[in-house]
Amino acid sequence: MIPINHFLVLSTILFSLGMYGVLARRSAVLIIMSIELMLQAVSINFIAFAVYLSPGEFRGLIFAIFVITIAAAEVGLALAIILRIFRNKATANVDEVDIMRW
Amino acid sequence: MTYEEFIFYIVAAVAVIGALGVVLARNVVHSALFLILALLAVAGVFILLSAEFLAIVQVLIYGGAVTILILFAMMLTRVRDMPQALDGPQRPFAALAAGAFLGVSILAVVATDWPGETEKITVIPFRELGEALFRTWAIPFEIASLVLLVALVGAIILARGEEGE
Amino acid sequence: MGMDDVWLIPAIPAAAFAILLLVGKYLPRRGDWLAIGAIAASFVIFFPVLIDLLDKVDAPDFAGGGRGWDWVSFDDFRLRLGFHVDQLAIVMLAVVSFVALMVQVYSVGYMRGDPRYGWYFTAMSLFAASMLTLVLADNLLLLYAAWEGVGFCSYLLIGFWHERRSAAEAAKKAFITTRIGDVGFLIGIILLWREAGTFDISEIFHFAEEGGYSAEYLTMAVLFLFAGAAGKSAQFPLHVWLPDAMEGPTPVSALIHAATMVVAGVYMVARMFPLFELADPVALNVVTALGLTTVIMSATMGLAASDIKRVIAYSTINSLGLMMVALGSGSVTAALLYLFAHGFFKALLFLGAGSVIHATERQEVADLGGLASKMPVTAAVFAIGTLSMAGIVPLAGFWAKDEILNVSGDHQNWGVYALMMLSVFITALYMTRLYVRTFTGRPRDHHAHEHAHDAEPVMTVPLLLLAALTLVAGFVAFDGVGEALGFPGGFGKFVFFEEPEAFHFPWDVAIISTIAALAGITVGVYAWSGEARPARRAAEALRPAYLTLANKYYMDDLYQWVINRVVLTAGAVIAWFDRNVVNDTAVDGSAGLGVFSGFQMKFLETGKLPNYALGISLGVIVIAIVFMVVRV
Repeated sequence: MIPINHFLVLSTILFSLGMYGVLARRSAVLIIMSIELMLQAVSINFIAFAVYLSPGEFRGLIFAIFVITIAAAEVGLALAIILRIFRNKATANVDEVDIMRW
Repeated sequence: MTYEEFIFYIVAAVAVIGALGVVLARNVVHSALFLILALLAVAGVFILLSAEFLAIVQVLIYGGAVTILILFAMMLTRVRDMPQALDGPQRPFAALAAGAFLGVSILAVVATDWPGETEKITVIPFRELGEALFRTWAIPFEIASLVLLVALVGAIILARGEEGE
Repeated sequence: MGMDDVWLIPAIPAAAFAILLLVGKYLPRRGDWLAIGAIAASFVIFFPVLIDLLDKVDAPDFAGGGRGWDWVSFDDFRLRLGFHVDQLAIVMLAVVSFVALMVQVYSVGYMRGDPRYGWYFTAMSLFAASMLTLVLADNLLLLYAAWEGVGFCSYLLIGFWHERRSAAEAAKKAFITTRIGDVGFLIGIILLWREAGTFDISEIFHFAEEGGYSAEYLTMAVLFLFAGAAGKSAQFPLHVWLPDAMEGPTPVSALIHAATMVVAGVYMVARMFPLFELADPVALNVVTALGLTTVIMSATMGLAASDIKRVIAYSTINSLGLMMVALGSGSVTAALLYLFAHGFFKALLFLGAGSVIHATERQEVADLGGLASKMPVTAAVFAIGTLSMAGIVPLAGFWAKDEILNVSGDHQNWGVYALMMLSVFITALYMTRLYVRTFTGRPRDHHAHEHAHDAEPVMTVPLLLLAALTLVAGFVAFDGVGEALGFPGGFGKFVFFEEPEAFHFPWDVAIISTIAALAGITVGVYAWSGEARPARRAAEALRPAYLTLANKYYMDDLYQWVINRVVLTAGAVIAWFDRNVVNDTAVDGSAGLGVFSGFQMKFLETGKLPNYALGISLGVIVIAIVFMVVRV
């Protein structure tokens, strides 16, 4: 049997890589992709907890289902917004969209 | 090492390679492809966790829908390929933050005494999962579908643009 | 109406002051009648109070009477507006109220036509109220408040003609010099209060008698109290303000700087005398030493002064020194008798000088001369005042000065006694010089001489009344006279410390002092009459000595040097500190810090998504670490 820590460490690594991607990448689309990575890692975490530590309850699994659902919705909306910004500013570069600055 | 652990390491390695590819690739389409790879590897991890239903859902939704969406968005926003266009000026800080988080989290994970059975997976009967989803968690289920509806409508409106386009 | 109503005496002039301050300029004649009426009322009320006091004074434990109101009272802290009259206070009341009345009547003539006529009487009323409060105060805090009040009025009145630079400077000098003494006074009061827990004078006396203060502590407190007296009563080294105070109108000099305010120091020491007696003898020795120094210095300076008022001012400092020597020798009786007599004849001298100044518009003796023929009445009363100051029998000054010489002979060593006799000689000398140069001989400035005339009745009548008192006031020292007037006896049986003193007359002291005085007069007449050739030759021969005296022993220059070097330098340092440290660093700096940090922190609001995301990430990491540390 695989100890739980293996899965947890895996999810941590994926999450950190996703975090790096969110902070370092310039294009909005690439940032969205990194967010997807982070959500994946979170799902792994929830499911691992559910099957290892509290098998009587399904919360972790249910949560993972909803994570996937909401992630899908969110990606759709986020990309719509990015398209909109791109039409207004001709760029999807988040460094250049800084209207709300001091 | 048992063969389960061996398989786990392989699947985990694929997932990590995919993730690395997403955040480090020089070509955006390559990033998208690496994302697909990572998503599929995570589906494998779900199988290892005996959550087969989720694995299938993962492949269908992510692998099918989300990546297509992303590729279309990439096409429409004409992301450039040059390295300086891909990585922002925050790179070192991002690495620092991610590294710090990694360190803290791993420390937290290994140092914590998880309550309960940490070695054995309890397989969850699929039938009970379904019942739970549609009974105990019915309301969140309905709300989730509403969210999807809203996202759908919202995305159409946002993406449609000005009148007469 | 009796002793319980004594509070009216200061209250009526205070009310007059308030009214004059608010509506004085709308009253007919600017309200001088109101001021004079108020002080006259005080004088009138004095009599029933006196009668009531005489009724009760023979009781065995008589401690005076009066009334007070608590103003602030909580826990063990009490501030009280208390008025208390006993034999000591009643003598002062007599002098203050009568001389104030005379001076204010005189001022009607002297200050006529002055553009700030109304303000003069307003300030005079305030002064009267403050001085009377000082005399009647039953607790040290009220006394100190009134003390400051009279100091303030002195400032106002010395600087009355403040358009003149010298007057403004003199007022400032008076106030600052007495302030230095007042700080010591306040320290003394606080020292006494700290142990006794009360400001009330009689309670402090009880506390001290029961040994509540250690000897060193009490001596220190008493010396601080004396510092205040030294400032107000122009003792060396705080005497420098009094000659300059002559810049004020002459009636002001008569009232404040002769008869009343300057004797406040003497009065205060007399009032607190039980403490002086209980303290180490060094305290009274200090009093005597400073008093004696003052006596000799002022007498010698009077020889070189050339302005009428200045000469009389030096004679006042001389008198104050004599009173302090009397107190230092342990006799409240002698000091108060002199105070009583001095009030009358010194005011007489000043008002007489005022008549001269008013008529001739000159103050320098060099410009005067031969005025006796043109101003006979003034010359006559001035002569009476001069002789009284010199100490010629049977004038009041003789009896008073003799008493002082008596006690100093009894209680001090022969050196002190000899110096006192010497001062008698010198005093007679310079007073004679003043009289001779002003009223006899040939006139030196004919223009002044032509204008000289005896003053109008409103000015001359006070002069005559004061002269009359100078003639007879001394006789109250006699037991027989005192008893005839309803007092328990002579002055010594009425005002005393511990034991009533029967009047005794030592012939040896009287004869020596009379010889000294007559010698002074003779030499004075010889040296200064006519062309004053002997005096001029002496001045030439002793030129360095003459210059020292004329420059007031260079004390003013010394003080000015100290101020320039020490005080102003310290002030510059503090100003630098205030400007650079407090203002630039603390005030401007903290404001600048705000501006600077705001400017730096706006860079957090970049509007860029990655920056915000980084912020969130860092926050999460920090929280994670904190939780790990706290839990693990």
